[in-house]
Amino acid sequence: MHERDSVEAAVVVSGLEKRFQLKQKAAGLVGSVRSLWQPVTKEVEAVRDISFRLDVGEVLAFIGPNGAGKSTTIKMLTGILHPSGGQATVLGLTPWRDRRQLAFQIGSVFGQKPQLWYHLPPEDTFRLFSRIYELDADVYKRRYDFLVESFQLAHLLQTPVRKLSLGQRMKCEIAASLLHSPKVIFLDEPTIGLDVVAKQQIREAIRLFNEEEQTTIFLTSHDAGDIEILCKRVIIINHGRIIFDDRTSMLKRQYLTRKVIDVRFGEALDEPFRLAGVETVKQGEYGLKLEFDSQAVAVGDVVQRVMATKPCNDINIADPPLEEVIRAIYAE
Amino acid sequence: MSRVAVGEVDGIKDLRRNAVRRVVVKYGAITLTNLQNQLAYVWDAVGRSIFIVLILYIFVQLWSSVYASRGGGEIAGLSLTMTIWYFLFAEMIELGKFRHDQQISDEVKNGTIAYALTRPYHYLIYHFFNGLGETLVKMVLILLLGLPIVWWSVGFPSIAWTTLPAVVLVLLLALVLDFVMASSIGLLAFVTEDTFSFRLIYQKLIFILGGLLIPIDFLPEWLQWIARILPFSQVTYAPAKLFVAFSASQFWQVLATQIFWIVVLGCSLRRQYRWSIRRLEVNGG
Repeated sequence: MHERDSVEAAVVVSGLEKRFQLKQKAAGLVGSVRSLWQPVTKEVEAVRDISFRLDVGEVLAFIGPNGAGKSTTIKMLTGILHPSGGQATVLGLTPWRDRRQLAFQIGSVFGQKPQLWYHLPPEDTFRLFSRIYELDADVYKRRYDFLVESFQLAHLLQTPVRKLSLGQRMKCEIAASLLHSPKVIFLDEPTIGLDVVAKQQIREAIRLFNEEEQTTIFLTSHDAGDIEILCKRVIIINHGRIIFDDRTSMLKRQYLTRKVIDVRFGEALDEPFRLAGVETVKQGEYGLKLEFDSQAVAVGDVVQRVMATKPCNDINIADPPLEEVIRAIYAE
Repeated sequence: MSRVAVGEVDGIKDLRRNAVRRVVVKYGAITLTNLQNQLAYVWDAVGRSIFIVLILYIFVQLWSSVYASRGGGEIAGLSLTMTIWYFLFAEMIELGKFRHDQQISDEVKNGTIAYALTRPYHYLIYHFFNGLGETLVKMVLILLLGLPIVWWSVGFPSIAWTTLPAVVLVLLLALVLDFVMASSIGLLAFVTEDTFSFRLIYQKLIFILGGLLIPIDFLPEWLQWIARILPFSQVTYAPAKLFVAFSASQFWQVLATQIFWIVVLGCSLRRQYRWSIRRLEVNGG
């Protein structure tokens, strides 16, 4: 590992592995008794040979189907789990060895496990966090004001958390995790269960502080919108291995090459549109929707043909939704 | 929160002083926050504490008749008034104390304990201070609710106010001792799926050997001797007895016993905690 690399990198993972011993219990009474005397354990490889590197300020989408090894990896990076093999450093520290020290520099929001005290207004939890993270009073005040402004929390902070909507609560949760200006933050399903408006707000807030503070973000989400809007880079993990590590735009281009073209014509169409390799999904009097594989038929050719048919008023060329892409990858 | 500028005082000493203050502030803040939390739904806490009223009423009836049947006076050096007040104090501790065994057991089972590891505090210490806030509120409530009944039936005991600080100290140590024992039981969740039976046993041990059923002074000599040595009596009996019948020699003896058990069981807890965390780190708990 080069010295210079380690300084600019936020997270460096190399050959990380994690194996668990799972106790096997045979069915039935005899099986239960037998497992008392002779416990049988099966070894499960949750994470095998994972390597990647995150630069400071990067926003990474870390996705994979359930059971792929995502949370195991995150737990190792936050110092909760000791790996069976390999190395990792977060901000130059080894998470499982320097856990206490690292705790001051990382933040985490686990969508399923709230940290705000339920019966108290968020402000009280904020204050508690400022003490836990040992923030000076003036530092805390500045931070507090900044976060309230950025996330627009002013009217929320005095209300007990139990009275806030889910979206408002999540905003406060994320703000709380940023109080101590962590350099790396792990967001696990931050938009789960939120409606479109709330999702938009959360994404905007995340984007904002990433820009302002160069916070490195490690995002886990099942929501394709989150990934598309926030993350320039995606790592997909399945069966404990990385199967994709590249820019989000490459994800679509590499994995699904289907394209959809939507056209509005100025004159009525007098005959059905036909082109080899192109499927006519829908044809109306003035409209046309086509789908084709851009590897089989060049996009340019299709567009030329379309434009030659009748005068076009509007044309739209779209990638397949990220959902489909991800689904296709999971299926592998 | 004023802070001495680092440049003004000797570097390391000042940093150490600041670090200590920060740590105190850190854990004190946790106590305060849970205290606020309790007050946020105080009526709920009051409702739960109403129980004490019932218990005390029963006790008063029971012991009044016991004393009456013996023609008043004292039993093992305790008058009726002292006995009733003893119960109030002992129950205040028993009902008011935070159930660390339950809390820790739950957190181990639902995995919350793992996430606490990513925060810059010590899990156990956090829990102690967290429970302290709640315990304080509950004890005050119980005292307030129980006082009317007790005062109405037996009046005030003869307490010298000067003994109160010593009693409070013993009370505090009693809570620490209970914390140590209850945490050990809670951490058993790493070993057994369900700690319910252990928690039940612990509760009963405190109940019987802690002088909640009857004051230890009323037990036969040999049983008294056993109970006084064991840590359970130091949680409820010792502070309550000191409150109603203070004596300097008793105080020092209790202090020594409490500290002894806190150190011994504390070391065991530490070892158990380390083992548990190791297990978590390797197995994911």
